[in-house]
Amino acid sequence: MKNVWYLFAAYSTIWTALCVYMIRLSQKNKELQAELRDLRTQLERVVTK
Amino acid sequence: MPKWWTIMLFVMAFPFIYLCMNRVFHVTVMCITMNVAIMLVFIYAPTEKMQGIVQKIFYFHVSSAITMFFAFFLVCVASIMYLWKTSDWWDSIALSAAEIGVVFCTLVLITGPLWARPIWGTWWSWDPTLTLTLVLWLIYVAYLMLRIETYDPQRARFAAILGIIGFVDVPVIRWSVEKWRTLHPKPVLIQEGGTTGLTSAMLLTFLVCVGAFFLLFFYLLRERISVAQSRHALEVLRHEIDEICVG
Repeated sequence: MKNVWYLFAAYSTIWTALCVYMIRLSQKNKELQAELRDLRTQLERVVTK
Repeated sequence: MPKWWTIMLFVMAFPFIYLCMNRVFHVTVMCITMNVAIMLVFIYAPTEKMQGIVQKIFYFHVSSAITMFFAFFLVCVASIMYLWKTSDWWDSIALSAAEIGVVFCTLVLITGPLWARPIWGTWWSWDPTLTLTLVLWLIYVAYLMLRIETYDPQRARFAAILGIIGFVDVPVIRWSVEKWRTLHPKPVLIQEGGTTGLTSAMLLTFLVCVGAFFLLFFYLLRERISVAQSRHALEVLRHEIDEICVG
């Protein structure tokens, strides 16, 4: 089990980085969709006025 | 032992499988494949005699590198299509693939030194393969920095040209691995004569890892394209509201 620390560090880095990126992407997607919905309702209000 | 074209067919099948999947099914298949890949790496694949357990970094290090090369190939193709058709769709694909490519390139540059330290006795060596990979990372970071501002067609065109020119580095890296005498090992997956240097258990584990990474790549690409398109739709909508307010 020599050098197991390096293996642990490599796999931890891969999964941490990928999880952080996936969560960030998902949050950004949700934020943008919400912003898009808000702007569309604002535009509808402006047009109907 | 399978020939190189069997491996290529296996890898190329993934985009077609992806096209047949809806989002939930895609995520489910991706998670299952990833779990199977991890189990194969730690339970099924034999420990290499010379390097010991640290050789298991190979499965995800090389899978990340192959995914990175594919991502940058997609940037190159989408950039050519963008310059030809001037379509936002191709620009979104190029930008998204570049960002994901940089993520995988970062993983390659981190896991490589973690593997090198116990085997070579050093974290980093300025040998051609490693240096060219760092240059590739810098090129596509520059690409992303060009695109950091809001959508501007001129910046998008410059970035597309950089995306195409940057891809030239990829075959040079491949060539450096094969032909240059460096610390970086010669390719074991596909050797001269079209055979592989891996045992069947190692090859199966490796192919499952590549498959899992490709599924992950397409999942990330789908999400990132959605972000790029939402951003573009927001800009169009803001412009419309501004015009109405001014009018």
